[in-house]
Amino acid sequence: MKTNYLFPHRLKSISGVLFIISFITLVVFYSVPELNELQLNATVFAIIADADNGKIFNGITFFGCIENSIADELLVLIVLTSGIIYAFSKEKNEDEMVASIRLQSLAWATIINYALILLSYLFVYGFIFLNVLMAVMFSQLLIFILLFRFKMFRFYNSHQDEE
Amino acid sequence: MKNNVKVQRAIHNLTQQDLAGRIGVSRQTINALEAGKYVPSTVLALKLAKLFEKDVTEIFELEPTD
Repeated sequence: MKTNYLFPHRLKSISGVLFIISFITLVVFYSVPELNELQLNATVFAIIADADNGKIFNGITFFGCIENSIADELLVLIVLTSGIIYAFSKEKNEDEMVASIRLQSLAWATIINYALILLSYLFVYGFIFLNVLMAVMFSQLLIFILLFRFKMFRFYNSHQDEE
Repeated sequence: MKNNVKVQRAIHNLTQQDLAGRIGVSRQTINALEAGKYVPSTVLALKLAKLFEKDVTEIFELEPTD
């Protein structure tokens, strides 16, 4: 059985390392307020924007150019691409059981993620909810990766009961 | 679903690793299959039957819960 939607195995380790480094950097970047001073200003194209140079104004720009610090954009770009490639690249010995473990992990990750979203929606109020929305951008991918790696770890260490 | 892959493998004097290599899956998959923890796809079942020169029904058997 051939699966053709997965990335090649050789991308796995490099994207994994990149994902871990960039994800930790992103978490630090978002949680240490002083780091917001670290600006990488550039003129960017916006499909829709209601802030220029970090300042919110009354109007809305459609399909225009604005000033923005692109440090976080670059980080998110790296986290998401490396995360997707790492999560969906082939195992060394890709076979149908690995595919079924992957599918199962994906289903569980989706259920857990939406349970977390529902809980935070019901119990988090006010502007702090923006943090929830931020976390939700990465949570499903992260839960899936953790779950899949854990199941694959158990799979690779399943006991060899041979006579 | 029950199977007697382990018996067939012993008859043909193959290790789990040998069998895995012959039909293109990992050793762990054969292990899970023999332990009854994994139900293989039709393609894999047919490959096993072909290798052991048996009918699929001689290797795999439905259980009342299936």
